[in-house]
Amino acid sequence: MESSSDAPIVTRVLRGDVEAYADLVGRYRDRYARYAFHMLGNREDAEEALQDAFTRAYRSLARCEDPDRFGAWLFRILVNRCRTVGARRARRSRTFVADEAALLDASEEHPAERSAWSEEIERALARLRPEQREAFLLKYLEELGYDEMSRLTGAGVSALKMRVMRACERLRELLSEVYSA
Amino acid sequence: MPENDELNLEQISRELREPVALDASFDARVMAGVRGLPRHVRRGVWSRLTTPRTVKVRPLSWAALAAALVFVAGVAALAAYPSAGEVSRRPVVALFQPTPRAPQRVQFVIVAPSARKVAVVGDFNGWDPEHAAYQALHRGGGVWSVTAQLPAGHHRYSFVVDDSVWMADPTAPRAIDKDYGLPNSAIVVGGSTQ
Repeated sequence: MESSSDAPIVTRVLRGDVEAYADLVGRYRDRYARYAFHMLGNREDAEEALQDAFTRAYRSLARCEDPDRFGAWLFRILVNRCRTVGARRARRSRTFVADEAALLDASEEHPAERSAWSEEIERALARLRPEQREAFLLKYLEELGYDEMSRLTGAGVSALKMRVMRACERLRELLSEVYSA
Repeated sequence: MPENDELNLEQISRELREPVALDASFDARVMAGVRGLPRHVRRGVWSRLTTPRTVKVRPLSWAALAAALVFVAGVAALAAYPSAGEVSRRPVVALFQPTPRAPQRVQFVIVAPSARKVAVVGDFNGWDPEHAAYQALHRGGGVWSVTAQLPAGHHRYSFVVDDSVWMADPTAPRAIDKDYGLPNSAIVVGGSTQ
């Protein structure tokens, strides 16, 4: 996916070529949309977090210490934006966590787009604690190692392993409930 | 059911990697927002010298360079304007500050009895709640504090409690984050108003 280095594009943007930033957006949009969507549980919030992340990254681009790793730097911003968007939504009491009615409504919006299995996975993910969902997605969606996850989240490796283990247990429990019913 | 468990995890991972369809206007919206921001411009030497900005000078390694810049700017200013008194003083103020304002250690303190984690985020650390130098420690009695070195100048900051709740510093002036509406506080480091 990252067929060429990010650094030349970052340099062009820093020299005033704003339109070059579209190349970076196109390069990372789809990959990081998956993380934001699974983390936040709906497309609207995922797009908000992802757009915020791209905007903040542009604004702070001169502070990107390693332009070759723009993608990793952007992802770190996105992880934090997802936390903030999720927390803000929780404060507005529209949280997806344990909000069965909202989940059902949301899943009915696009019945043709999603399989029953993927809907059940989203429903189960939404019922995880946010830090468990985050750790699970970093491990099984982004396929990061625990050391990298630790650098990204600030949590210790042992804590992250525990979060992933708990997330797996809970997901299995929730999904087996569905298919044994 | 270990085999089924493994199978489920694989299935879940595969399902999670399915593409997520964003709104067709997503790229356009991002780029519209970006175009509305100040354009990045790497300036030339003259522009750097004549644009008001904070200049950090390391006393030893940069002293000679600073002296040279000051000399060049002074000569150029005198050559460009018939009267030094008529020269805009803004860039000159930045260059001729008698002593560079050094970074200072600042202690952030907040009382959050039920918190499990407290971090300080601000424009000085990229608003990064995971920045190692800005993780507060629990000092007992619900008091959390961290001391960090901040560059001189005006800064905005906030506390992030338990990775999710943003809290302004109740002891500091409030700043408005117009972009996101989150509570921020203001601090001046190295100035007379601190």
